[in-house]
Amino acid sequence: MPMYGDLGNKLVQHAKRAQNLAQLPAYQTELVRAVTREVRDLDRDVASMLEPFQGSFDPAAEQATACTLLVNHLSMRRNKRCLLAYHRTRADKLEELVWGGSDVVDLAGQQQAGAAANGVPAAANDGQSSSLSPQEEDYVRQYGDLLAAYKGQWTDIDLTGSLDPPRDLFIDVRVLKDAGEIQTEYGAINLTKNSQFYVRQGDVERLIAQGYLQKLG
Amino acid sequence: MDIDDILREVDPTFHAIPQEKRDLQDLTRAWVAERCAPELLQWPANDLFERVNENIKRQIEKVEEMTGDMDPKTNFVLIVLQTELERFKYLVRSYLRARIAKIDCHTLHYLSTDDLRSRLSEMELAYATRHQALLHNHYLSSFLSSFPPALQNLNDTAGNVTMIDAPDLDSAVFVRLLRDTAVEARDVDVDSSTGGQENAIYILRWSDAKPLVDAGSAELV
Repeated sequence: MPMYGDLGNKLVQHAKRAQNLAQLPAYQTELVRAVTREVRDLDRDVASMLEPFQGSFDPAAEQATACTLLVNHLSMRRNKRCLLAYHRTRADKLEELVWGGSDVVDLAGQQQAGAAANGVPAAANDGQSSSLSPQEEDYVRQYGDLLAAYKGQWTDIDLTGSLDPPRDLFIDVRVLKDAGEIQTEYGAINLTKNSQFYVRQGDVERLIAQGYLQKLG
Repeated sequence: MDIDDILREVDPTFHAIPQEKRDLQDLTRAWVAERCAPELLQWPANDLFERVNENIKRQIEKVEEMTGDMDPKTNFVLIVLQTELERFKYLVRSYLRARIAKIDCHTLHYLSTDDLRSRLSEMELAYATRHQALLHNHYLSSFLSSFPPALQNLNDTAGNVTMIDAPDLDSAVFVRLLRDTAVEARDVDVDSSTGGQENAIYILRWSDAKPLVDAGSAELV
């Protein structure tokens, strides 16, 4: 028989694993539901145990009951911590992706592609179309808006730009995927696959982040 | 006007350093300090960022103006200007991101008291409040709403364990003394006090170094 907290522990292990993965694994809907149910069951137990005392419970007189109550309370709190930790870790990961420039649509799509490539059967996704829970998709959307609003106050700086200190104004780049034509202040450049250019870093930063270009040297 | 102002006016070094240069110094110092300190520092109060933003905007306009010019000499100046501009932008970006990272890490802690709230800029405060609300909502809709009401808080202190995580103020930092001053440090069994020389570098707990940095007698390195 599973013990109190076993399920919560599983969640934490999932969260720990997700920290080191490039892509977010599928949301554990079932597990989250089971842990929440455990908390509700425990709460009901506590209530029914206290019922005969009508609010006049004396821990010193009923030590056995007091001990059970304590264990139940601690298990509930522990489960809550596990759930919070699991969701926070995933939310952090999602925020990181949002900072990296992804939005909810391509995030959900990517995750699914990633899961399929890893040989995870679609059934493991619990019938959902992406590895994000609907709540998480909402969260990503809202956080994206929030970030855009904050960024909007610093338009000249490009807050999501590179965090490496700039060394040279111009860099060599190789084109990995056709990206079409871009406009720079030195005229238009046509980015065709496998060609190489010497361009201003500020002009192509976005394309490097999106994987169209590769920085050389 | 007091005696300090008069002294400053006759001080040749005061006028020698233009405002822009001092702003750059302040910005660089704030950036280094923010990246080294374990907790969020005070947002610079003297309109530093308004001025820096103003400067960046001006330089961008200047660069745009000069781009049309095909003269090789202007071209060279242009490259210098743009390089400088990129560096400036990097400083501001990195500084803001360092702060956001700290705020995200301990949002509730920084929102909990007025003293801590005052360290954030207005924009950061709005961001932090909204972010926390989003997170709370996310928790609520994901699982918290089906919890018993007594367990729905995010700021419980039951069992003497607070749910609000705070940064570790005792982590070590490196400081350089800007003037001769006594360095007081707590130790495991005895507290120690050393007469520090200008330019000496110490490694201290942040909680010990903070008074020195706040007083302007030391800077983080």
